[in-house]
Amino acid sequence: MRDTLFDVLIIGSGHSGGMAAKILTEKGANCLMLNAGPVADVAKDAERKSAYELPYRGFKPPGRLEHVFQASEFNANVWVSEQEVPYTFDPANPYNWVRVRLFGGRSLFWSRQSFRLSDYEFKAKSHDGFGEDWPISLADLSPYYSRVEDIFRVSGALDGPPQMPNGNFVLDETPWSESMERFIAAAKVFDVPVCKQRRAEGRDGLASSVNLLLPDAERTGKLTSVANAVVRQLTVDSHTGQPNGCHFVDRLSRREMKVKAGVIVLAAGTLESTRLLLNSKLANSSGLIGHYLMDQIYGPGVVCSVPEARNGRATKNLMGSSAIVPRFRNITTRSDKFLRGYALNVTSRTGAVEPRNFAAYGAELQQKLDEYHGSAFQMTLMGEVLGRYENHVRIDKEAVDAWGIPALHVETKYTDNEFNMAKDAVEISSAVAESAGFEILSKNAVPNPPGYSIHEVGTCRMGDDPKTSVLNKWCQSHDHKNLFVVDGASFVSSGWQNPTMTILSLSMRASEYLADQMNRLEI
Amino acid sequence: MLRRDFVRAVITVSLAPRGMLSQQSSTAVPAPVPWTLGLNSKTPLPLTETVDMVAETEASFFTKAQMGTFERLCDVLLPPIGNWPGALQSGTPAFLDFLIGSSPEARQRVYTVGLDWLDSASKDQFQLPFAGLSDVQAGALLKPWLRTWMTDHPPSERHADFVNIAHEDILTATMNSEAWSAANLGANQDLITEGLYWFPIEPDVDRVRAACARTPARIIGAPKAAHTFPSYPR
Repeated sequence: MRDTLFDVLIIGSGHSGGMAAKILTEKGANCLMLNAGPVADVAKDAERKSAYELPYRGFKPPGRLEHVFQASEFNANVWVSEQEVPYTFDPANPYNWVRVRLFGGRSLFWSRQSFRLSDYEFKAKSHDGFGEDWPISLADLSPYYSRVEDIFRVSGALDGPPQMPNGNFVLDETPWSESMERFIAAAKVFDVPVCKQRRAEGRDGLASSVNLLLPDAERTGKLTSVANAVVRQLTVDSHTGQPNGCHFVDRLSRREMKVKAGVIVLAAGTLESTRLLLNSKLANSSGLIGHYLMDQIYGPGVVCSVPEARNGRATKNLMGSSAIVPRFRNITTRSDKFLRGYALNVTSRTGAVEPRNFAAYGAELQQKLDEYHGSAFQMTLMGEVLGRYENHVRIDKEAVDAWGIPALHVETKYTDNEFNMAKDAVEISSAVAESAGFEILSKNAVPNPPGYSIHEVGTCRMGDDPKTSVLNKWCQSHDHKNLFVVDGASFVSSGWQNPTMTILSLSMRASEYLADQMNRLEI
Repeated sequence: MLRRDFVRAVITVSLAPRGMLSQQSSTAVPAPVPWTLGLNSKTPLPLTETVDMVAETEASFFTKAQMGTFERLCDVLLPPIGNWPGALQSGTPAFLDFLIGSSPEARQRVYTVGLDWLDSASKDQFQLPFAGLSDVQAGALLKPWLRTWMTDHPPSERHADFVNIAHEDILTATMNSEAWSAANLGANQDLITEGLYWFPIEPDVDRVRAACARTPARIIGAPKAAHTFPSYPR
């Protein structure tokens, strides 16, 4: 077994790695998948508990996961430890790198919002002059989006404007709630479109690589998977100069290992794939690996109350429903405050309103909580972050992780473009809510630190010119034709959309291209 | 080699170490059976209690004066309401003494500076320590600083940060307490603080050998005033 030369080495097991494994094995390739963490078995690794049974009563264990705002004591053990796998940054510009190394990666935990990019993203430079166009268009990716949407059972309505292309949906024909109808009517006056939310339903309550992609690959008998394999560096054939495998270290025993393969597919997540390339000193003739780091601004929003739903009057007809306001700025008009745009997640919900929405305490607070129960209506922002050369990652010359692998230094910050976008989002959300007759309880225009959205993309962007891009339009290295990066690193612009559907579609497209090239003996 | 010869060879090889081990055991180890014999799925599990119901936390982080102020603050912000225990009845002050004492310095400072300010303001305005104020007097000091805010974005202005952050922590610690849970059960309501807890998954028990264990952590929490992002370390 140890002399096996695999056709393809896939590093990472999340959405992009799972898709690569499914496509390549179904096309006949013999694949090895390495994943840095263990397999999570909810039956033995998790248990329902009350908060009081936990050492910190449900509070995030102090000092741990400082930059994972999503962490609590319940889920603290699923995130990558910042002590075990550190990264560095200037304290003035913090970065929240939110990571999961369990088999399946972050596909185990995601919000499942499922959108296509439009040509307002693929051809963004042509539209507003900033950055670069992608070397592909929506037409190139559309067939792959359709197949991915089928696998992930994306629900939605065919109500999208051009900036939110429709897809191959499980049609959502549920009626709007009355509160959402009021919001839609009020938004119309402001030329703000409101559409049905789009969400991956998956199977059996899960929409992950581990249940939708990897089983297909395993059924072929051509996938070999190894857990707890922390890849240290890609190896290079001394005769050809091409990548031919990797060194990895067993996470638990620290035994150093190596393996060989004809083709390398990186799917470790945007920044881990980039870190691996930088540590391997490969594929960087452009000098651009690590640059143009992007994500999306999250955090700003408005929380309201629907007065008619208070005092126990919330009904299913009145409350409930979730909607998406697709980007509407800089489509047919031009804002003088910022480029590109943002979307709003709009949610009408029953249940409790959080205490922080009331400037009260004690019995007065309890009375407010009782009165407002079931009346919450909120809007939260997802905004595009511009791709800038100076927002980048590089290898830290001193810091290493638990296995001695050099750590990443992140240098990125938001600019007035993002801050102005956030202010605009809160202003228009407030105006629409007030127009709809809702009471605004709290609002916030300050973005969370970069990285919080867990939508980091870029750092190995694709393009037609090897001097200005790292990958070609097939997610293939310009420098090494047997090296592919199929996660979010190839993005040229971030868009406002959750990137998962695009990552899956790009991985599917790249993997089919790779399989075809292998069959033709071009690789 | 004939198949029966091969099988015989395998059996011989596999028995040899066991034979040697048994000889060693008979002389060196008196135990007549393997240590884990009998431990199986039928083994009854001992019944244990959560510690808060049988013991008190030995508070050690806040000074005596700070703890007096904090206990009064807990009682003012979350007194018993109906059949629900308040913060004092849920052991919240001592628990938060432990939690804050275990937390990064920036979080500790929010509390220690805040408690000292509150007591000082009380003495300035009422000539009494905060611990001795009536509900009305305490409210006069606290209400001007109450704010509404969204997740992860507590107010950053001085005094308002402490009042609102402490308020949320007091609410959480109380509502996640066993005393509150018992009242919840008594009221025949759903356990709202129950969740799926993940145990450490194949923890790296050998971390002590890791390079990162020999070097100081490089992650640095940004000082609150240095940027516009929320940085309150929890």
